[in-house]
Amino acid sequence: MEETDVKNIWQAYERKIEESRILNLQSWALNFRAFESIQQHKAGLTLNALAGFKVRALVLGFVWTLFLGILLYGARLKNLYFSFSIGALFLFNIATLVIYIRQVVLIKWINYSDPITDTQKKLSLLASSTVGLRFLWLQMPFYCTWFWHSSWINYSSLSFWLITFPITLFFTFLGIFLYRNVVPENMHKKWVQALLMSGPEYKSVIKAKEFLAEIDNFQKELS
Amino acid sequence: MNDKITQEEFLQRIAVNKGIIIKICNAYCADKHYREDLAQEIIYQLWRSAGKFRDEYKFSTWMYRIALNVAISFYRKEKNKQALVSYTDLPEDLEDKPDNATEMEIAILRLETLIQELNALDKALMILYLESKSYAEIADILGITETNVATKISRIKTRLKQQFANNN
Repeated sequence: MEETDVKNIWQAYERKIEESRILNLQSWALNFRAFESIQQHKAGLTLNALAGFKVRALVLGFVWTLFLGILLYGARLKNLYFSFSIGALFLFNIATLVIYIRQVVLIKWINYSDPITDTQKKLSLLASSTVGLRFLWLQMPFYCTWFWHSSWINYSSLSFWLITFPITLFFTFLGIFLYRNVVPENMHKKWVQALLMSGPEYKSVIKAKEFLAEIDNFQKELS
Repeated sequence: MNDKITQEEFLQRIAVNKGIIIKICNAYCADKHYREDLAQEIIYQLWRSAGKFRDEYKFSTWMYRIALNVAISFYRKEKNKQALVSYTDLPEDLEDKPDNATEMEIAILRLETLIQELNALDKALMILYLESKSYAEIADILGITETNVATKISRIKTRLKQQFANNN
């Protein structure tokens, strides 16, 4: 089979397509406005909607971080536990805001008329960036320490050592455990799926990572 | 309404190049019921991007980039594991080919099947090769080097030869 033979088959295929009159563009032209509004609705469910969601989350996140910042400023190290806990939560929130800003910028950069490998890489990076938020599990113990008081430790408060401290310890280990185990690689485990309401999102993370590797491989110079 | 191009001009350009859209839909969507959806999504993205089109670009290069990007995203989103249903009224499987199927019809089906079996990026490369695009244009559309295009195309040719030799 020669190259020209294959190209001839392709051309015959094109003629078949022409004969079968697929894509009735005339009828679309007549209903173009309806077509446009349907497609706008569909597109609203995808990238634009995602950008809108991220921006709304950013606004809320910013307000929450600002609130934490004000609390931190107001505390001025009067209570070390409070200041340290709120400070840590403040830093977690700043890091989350940075990831969200990066995602919004990435969405805005996605242009379908760019080269295929560039656009697909950006789309896959966007999908896989969700996994970057798993560090948020580590903030769990700080929600248990902000109300601690040094007198509880100094005077060996029984309720502190029997209730508050074990609960904090539990959430510390739980946070570390979840951080280490709620990863795309463990998505096959039932408890991970049950824990994440957004199971399909994690599946898309795995696929995105695989596709990123596929794109890198495709871009590699072959010998 | 788009400022740079009227709806009529746009549809005219699409009509001239509709073969590109159909072939891409056929390659990336195994289920014929979803192909219309994919075609509409491609046309909508083309319409949305039409304002950004500059005359210094080649229209077909711009169109291939958008159509392939939309098709690859669609292909990855949908789990199109269904069997190939040809656009061309040919049988869905070579085993089911009618007795009166011409040699050319069987060859078309073989080619369609081969394309369906490729991964998302190789499909794009194969389509562009079959469309007789230059190495420079393929490199520009895919975002890889010309040398890489040349190497990959030589592998595609070998694969095509094997496919058709095995079936003869």
